[in-house]
Amino acid sequence: MSNALAKTYDNDDVAGVRTDQMFINMGPQHPSTHGVLRIGLTVEGEIIVKAVPDIGYLHRGTEKLAEVRNYHHCVVLTDRWDYVSAMPNNLVFCLAAEKLMASKVPPRADALRVIMCELNRIASHLLFFGTYGIDTGAFTPFLYAFREREMVLDLFEMLCGARLTYNYIRLGGVMTDATPEWLGRLKEFIEYFKPRLDEYDTLLSFNPIFMARTKDVGRLSAEEAVNWGLSGPNLRASGVNYDVRKHDPYCGYENYDFEVPLGESGSCWDRYFCRVREMRQSVKIIEQALAKLPEGPTMAMGVAKIPKPAPGESYAHVEASRGELGIYLVSDGGISPFRMHVRAPSFVNLAMLEEKLVGMKVADVIAVLGSIDIVLGEVDR
Amino acid sequence: MTSDELFAKIQTQFPKIEKAAVPVKDYLTVRLPAKDALVPLAQWLKSNGFDYLDMLTGTDYLGPVDMKGYIRQSNFNVFLPDGATPEIESAANPAFAYKPVIDLLWSFISIHEKARVIVKLELPREAASAPTLSGLFKTADWQERETFDLLGVTYEGHPNLTKILTPDFLQGHPLRKDYVHIKDRFDE
Repeated sequence: MSNALAKTYDNDDVAGVRTDQMFINMGPQHPSTHGVLRIGLTVEGEIIVKAVPDIGYLHRGTEKLAEVRNYHHCVVLTDRWDYVSAMPNNLVFCLAAEKLMASKVPPRADALRVIMCELNRIASHLLFFGTYGIDTGAFTPFLYAFREREMVLDLFEMLCGARLTYNYIRLGGVMTDATPEWLGRLKEFIEYFKPRLDEYDTLLSFNPIFMARTKDVGRLSAEEAVNWGLSGPNLRASGVNYDVRKHDPYCGYENYDFEVPLGESGSCWDRYFCRVREMRQSVKIIEQALAKLPEGPTMAMGVAKIPKPAPGESYAHVEASRGELGIYLVSDGGISPFRMHVRAPSFVNLAMLEEKLVGMKVADVIAVLGSIDIVLGEVDR
Repeated sequence: MTSDELFAKIQTQFPKIEKAAVPVKDYLTVRLPAKDALVPLAQWLKSNGFDYLDMLTGTDYLGPVDMKGYIRQSNFNVFLPDGATPEIESAANPAFAYKPVIDLLWSFISIHEKARVIVKLELPREAASAPTLSGLFKTADWQERETFDLLGVTYEGHPNLTKILTPDFLQGHPLRKDYVHIKDRFDE
């Protein structure tokens, strides 16, 4: 608390008005924390003077579990981090393990991986779009967002049988090939989805009430964002052009033509609008991937049932829906990874709350927390 | 900037820094001679474009984890009879050099140059402590707390080095290879 503020309260005291600092527990079972996050807020009136995020309620120790499982089983663990966008999680582990095993993925599998990750990005951003509307007091967008998200989940269910934890991307390729029927359904969805994006903009993005609620809240400069290690839309909203798909391309992303949406001031609205524009780019990537989907096998030859990669270390990172998701993998030549470390974007993004919330109003906590779009499964792992 | 150019640049400033014997595949990996060298290198990297600390973590190289107690079935094939020879057993690889050290890792990237440099530092397991980078990079704060919690590495000068992921009653550091779980009320 600033000294000036303390002084006013001293004066209040003199006038017989007693103001005390109050401790408020936000969460862990609060709907707007999007999971089990507790923030211990100390407030002075309506102004926050101290915020202590408390995480770990969902800690399942997947890094330890990976040390006693074989590589194929570890792919199943990855689904459980960011359960609203699990495809990039599968992908990043497979990329890191494939680097160790030096196996080459067929081009059709690469294209299918790209399609799946971008579809999952759309589903994840739709969830953000809907819940952020609710966080800031607009209920209607949620219903529209979930209508379309359901269609994406149906597509996933049709191909791999699961709606959230897919285990679709496997070591050396993908689980099953996309059938012509599925590809037809995907094209139908894309055609249906494109005009909806304009609908979202009229519904929420440029809504004056929503803009007033988010435009000047939680601003973050480019230097701050880089220093906090933010990634994904949170970093790009501050105007820093860092996208792993462009920076260190994987799965043939260098062959797709797409833009990286950037924000200006790093406010909550910028973070929101970056995601909404990213959905358009994802649609663009899927269309390109569909247009030049190569024929051929979808699984590399010679991936062992119980792989034992040669001793070595690898790091792979992908642009997941929430930012840069990285895996550091060490092999000692055994059947399990000797060490697996997850660079989880939600965990790193969340760290800035401790400092950024100080000085804000209680009502803005929800706006800021919602705009950095965390998934607690990934924060705690 | 290629990794060789970058390494030459680093070595003109810090001649004692060498390339790591086991690199992280596809990325430039350097090894620090001692822990005092970390902060000057991080400062130099930060002022030379590598201002994004991507990740920091560590690895305990004591030996493979004993799988007993972690998996219920040692045979993945459920059709094998009870008491069949286990298909899965934790076995040390004789070709791999296990040693009682904790290998710390920092990964810096330059967004402008599209380059990454990975810095490694080997520490004895009993005295695993390194200087903190939380003064230079705010992102180091929570990631160092995570490494402290899971691996038991102390970061000297960290403003709030406390548990972050594991529950308060949990004893020990789970990612150490000799960690033994003590049964608590959640095991019932």
